[in-house]
Amino acid sequence: MSTSTTDRPATGGSRRTPPAGGEPRPVRRDTWISGRERLTAGGFMAPAVLLVSVFLLAPFVWTIHRSFFADTRTSPFSWFDNYTRFASDPALTRSIQNTLLWVVGTVVLPFVLGLAIACMTDATRFSRLARLCVVLPYALSGSAVAVVWNFMLTTDGAVNQVLTTVGLDSFAQGWLLTWPGNTLVMILANAWQATGVAVILFLVGLQSIPPETLEAGSLDGAGSWQQFRYIVLPQLRPVSIIVIGMSLVNGLKSFDLIWVLTQGGPGRATETLAVSMYNETFLELRPGAGAAIAVVLTVIVLAASWLYLRRQLDVKGE
Amino acid sequence: MTMSLGRVLRTGTVAVLALLWLVPTWLLVVNALVPAESYSGSPHWFPTEFGLFDNMSQAWDRANLGPAFGNSLLYSVVSALASAVLAAGAAFATIIMPVKHRALWFWVIYSGTLLPLQVFIRPLFLSYAESSLYDTQFGLVLIYTAIAIPFAFFVMRNYALTLPKEVVEAARLDGASWWRLFWQIHVPLTRSAMIAVFVFQFVAVWNDLMFGITLTTSRNIRPVMAALADLQGNYSNVGPPVVLAGALLVSLPTLVLFFSAQRFFISSLKIHR
Repeated sequence: MSTSTTDRPATGGSRRTPPAGGEPRPVRRDTWISGRERLTAGGFMAPAVLLVSVFLLAPFVWTIHRSFFADTRTSPFSWFDNYTRFASDPALTRSIQNTLLWVVGTVVLPFVLGLAIACMTDATRFSRLARLCVVLPYALSGSAVAVVWNFMLTTDGAVNQVLTTVGLDSFAQGWLLTWPGNTLVMILANAWQATGVAVILFLVGLQSIPPETLEAGSLDGAGSWQQFRYIVLPQLRPVSIIVIGMSLVNGLKSFDLIWVLTQGGPGRATETLAVSMYNETFLELRPGAGAAIAVVLTVIVLAASWLYLRRQLDVKGE
Repeated sequence: MTMSLGRVLRTGTVAVLALLWLVPTWLLVVNALVPAESYSGSPHWFPTEFGLFDNMSQAWDRANLGPAFGNSLLYSVVSALASAVLAAGAAFATIIMPVKHRALWFWVIYSGTLLPLQVFIRPLFLSYAESSLYDTQFGLVLIYTAIAIPFAFFVMRNYALTLPKEVVEAARLDGASWWRLFWQIHVPLTRSAMIAVFVFQFVAVWNDLMFGITLTTSRNIRPVMAALADLQGNYSNVGPPVVLAGALLVSLPTLVLFFSAQRFFISSLKIHR
């Protein structure tokens, strides 16, 4: 090689692209090209990078910064005061409890139910119809789901009506009024909506299992439970990771369902961190406290995502 | 025909689950049908009269759904489209083009999905107020696009990883510019992923409540979910049938889109290993 250009055959492993033409070029021209290429690549990335940096990353940094300042008019630097409120304010303690309940409820319920429904329904017409019943609510928004469940759960709502009709009057109650019942029914409402997407994802996963594997399994005498346990479940691992990751993040961020159903009340009993943050910032006008809540929520989301993401990236071998 | 016990159990379980799931949907539809005037205060289980369209038009007027619908349509279409194209561009640059620090760029863009929306909202609220983006359609389009990009980028990048490098290399040797490569090879090849991204983000933007109630005040700027939440706040005044009809109405666009585009995201969500 007489020149130091990148002009070599394009092999599979090569990340660099040979310059157009294929003639060896002098070094100067080549660096000029790569500079130009870098500019073009920058042009392709710039809008996405700019929007994300300006609208998401910069506000994120600002919120962290804000969380160290007090809520009085002059907003002096207050170290970790906003964070220590978590230990002393009962509303925030409750909010953390609720958030944890939401996380467990939004991960376990859609996962188990989604997996069960995806595996138990087959190609018969009845099965497909049953599956449709479960997938349908997924297309509704959180706000619309809240409207429907409010109708179910109010004192003279459908649930209490059923209970009274079948003679279980004593179980009829104001579902949204007492903790922890109100948080639990909202988690159920969320599962009613969120299971649909889990079903869809698991179906995609099931389709990608080669039928020969299952046939071989049944020839070897594996029962349907054994087949599920030792063949289907391991093959579904990548999808499971996605389902868990999605439900996890959605559960932590859940806002609209709670907001429309109870606005975090009564009192502040049904607040999750997502709702607390909104309350503190915009209703109680304590932006510093709100910022600290947002930061704590971020830490939890990041920690939770970390496990999921590590494996997720593993799957693709990057 | 005799069925095995396992099969009976399985069918039974599926039937029970499906029934449980259907109850709220059924109540939603049936009670949205009850004429608002003749609603007795307790839920109906079977349709008797047909007042759906009347309820819908009442919801439409009471909650000022007309402009809200137009707004949400604008936000959803423009933001979803912009995020799909911009994310495709970014994925093209970081996967196909010879770029340094790929991992860095990936994390800069992808980190957006990891952060809860609550951390952005107040700084955005303040800077929107200062820059007069507050309570404007343009302001909402900007923030919705920005929020949609990280996940769109993740999907597009996954997809771009599966494209054969040889196609691009051959085209480069033929002297095609990157711009041409992007529009004539990359975009057509990733079309189904782009449609999936569009549908996903359309639904996400359509369903947003938080930014809608924080960054707007005017009725002719706010999106449709903010209007619905308002209607729900008037629950006892307007009556449950009207609120339910409103909920049904604002869900129609996503329902239609969702079921007509299902095949696209099934194929593009397949996990590429």
